[in-house]
Amino acid sequence: MNPLLAFLRPNAWRVFHRNLLAWKTFAWSSITINIIEPLVYFVAFGYGFGAYFSFGGQGSLLQYLGPGMLALTAVNAATFDAAWGGYERLTTNGVYESMVTAPVEPEEIAAGEYLWQAFRATLYGAIFLVVIAALGLVHSWLALLCLPVLALTGLLFAIPALYVAFIVKTPEHLFYYFALLVTPLVMFAGVFFPLDRLPRWTQYVAWATPLYHAVSACRALIAGTPSLSTLREVGWLALAIVLVVWLPQRVLRRRLSG
Amino acid sequence: MSGEEIVEATELKKDYGTVHAVRGINFHIRRQECFGFLGVNGAGKTTTMKMVYCRIGATSGKLRVVGLDAASHSAEIRRRLGVVTQANALDPELSVLENLLTYASFFDIPASRSRAKADGALALLNLSGRTGDRVRELSGGMQRRLVIAKALVTDPELLILDEPTTGLDPQARLLVWETLAALKRSGLTIVLTTHYMDEAARLCDRIAIMDEGRIFALGTPAELIAAYAAPDVLEVSGADGEALAAAAGSLLVRRERLGETDYLYTRDNGALLHALAVHGIELQRHVARPATLEDVFLNITGRELRD
Ligand SMILES: Nc1ncnc2c1ncn2[C@@H]1O[C@H](COP(=O)(O)OP(=O)(O)O)[C@@H](O)[C@H]1O
Ligand SMILES: [Mg+2]
Repeated sequence: MNPLLAFLRPNAWRVFHRNLLAWKTFAWSSITINIIEPLVYFVAFGYGFGAYFSFGGQGSLLQYLGPGMLALTAVNAATFDAAWGGYERLTTNGVYESMVTAPVEPEEIAAGEYLWQAFRATLYGAIFLVVIAALGLVHSWLALLCLPVLALTGLLFAIPALYVAFIVKTPEHLFYYFALLVTPLVMFAGVFFPLDRLPRWTQYVAWATPLYHAVSACRALIAGTPSLSTLREVGWLALAIVLVVWLPQRVLRRRLSG
Repeated sequence: MSGEEIVEATELKKDYGTVHAVRGINFHIRRQECFGFLGVNGAGKTTTMKMVYCRIGATSGKLRVVGLDAASHSAEIRRRLGVVTQANALDPELSVLENLLTYASFFDIPASRSRAKADGALALLNLSGRTGDRVRELSGGMQRRLVIAKALVTDPELLILDEPTTGLDPQARLLVWETLAALKRSGLTIVLTTHYMDEAARLCDRIAIMDEGRIFALGTPAELIAAYAAPDVLEVSGADGEALAAAAGSLLVRRERLGETDYLYTRDNGALLHALAVHGIELQRHVARPATLEDVFLNITGRELRD
């Protein structure tokens, strides 16, 4: 089954719906945790460090952090559930095992997970966007265009997280994925500090990280100053998705047919 | 569709790397019968079931299910089956009703109809009052019944159950047995695996005895007992088996020894006991009883079925 066509299959949306049902029962605590935590960092860094540093001509640190934390919130919402949730649904909880006794294909299950994680990223991002708008940090209605960007970002982060969830032998190995890969890349994505004063290699690293492109696009949209380069950032995200989308689908088929 | 037969396996084989889980088996399952695979752990029962419900592909051999080739029509076959897997078959994050409705949705059953079907299946399994419960709030017996309800919600042509009562207490087992017996009476075709002799004897029209990836015998319980165990058995503990055999002479059809116990198979326990008495053999601990599937299993595989 073509990995991209799997998105269009009704079963992918039924898998999405299953995740929505499971999420519903603890939605409030999930939202609270996913919003409060970045907000605490945001306020602590923004007001705390902001009192000591100033950005030449770029406004306050709070202003700078807003779009970065927005993208990060979306990424976390998608990545954690993809990794831990995906692992549980494949192994301990047997959710996928049950699905493949029905006429459901592994590619459709993976596509349903993609849709679900993109939805989580968008929803939690939207809530965070409302919060920073209330703080007076959003300057344009174009900021609403951040939501599709966050959907793509969540999807792009969910894909490798699901891939790892589907290949690890024990859930402890997921910690390695976060500690060794996700966290370091987040640091060089221009979320917390701009990279233009750092050594040149950090900018190459940043260019290779998906979050950097998401943050740049959101920053431009929230400031109300999108340009051709914003479109390029979105194109980078979309292209990356197309390049890796088949990976979790392939391992999932192997896991559910051997 | 090939008439009577709902499952046809020919030289069906499954290797996991160097492990030969199923070593070329042949069987046919007829519509409206209850067919059982009886065997100890590791016999290859689950592997066989997984091939039938298209969870895994065969290494070689031919398999047709509901008239379709399992190698090429996996999704169409799954659409027509009800499956109770050995473990892990319920979604712990969903309620009882959500479990059924979500599962039904994968069979293209519209939401408007699946609610009525779910209510029917829950009523049949005595779970009507539990629709809003989470799965983990149910007892082991209720969970097992819910898995069966889930398998029935899609109106399957064939119900497959992998060890339906393993781990259940006697009362919960009885409830599951009664449900399966009622389903069978209503005309549903059932395939189950078990390592409980009484379960196989009670529910199954025909039984395949499996061991080490092979089917050693296949037939109705009565046929199997007639073919592989004389009608009577005398179990004697702590005696000299050779001496018993000598005294029994031609009355002895077959003798098996398991641990401290000799199993003397004979056409007539009365005559055998008489012959032993005539030869002056005093039996300390012994049981005279009709032969069962357990004896068939022992005679065929040389091992005990009970755990
Ligand atoms: N996924 C697997 N990988 C390797 N070996 C397996 C796998 N599944 C089953 N086996 C082996 O195949 C044999 C048959 O197993 P199984 O079909 O589960 O038996 P049963 O259900 O009768 O207990 C056993 O030796 C088991 O260890
Ligand atoms: Mg088994």
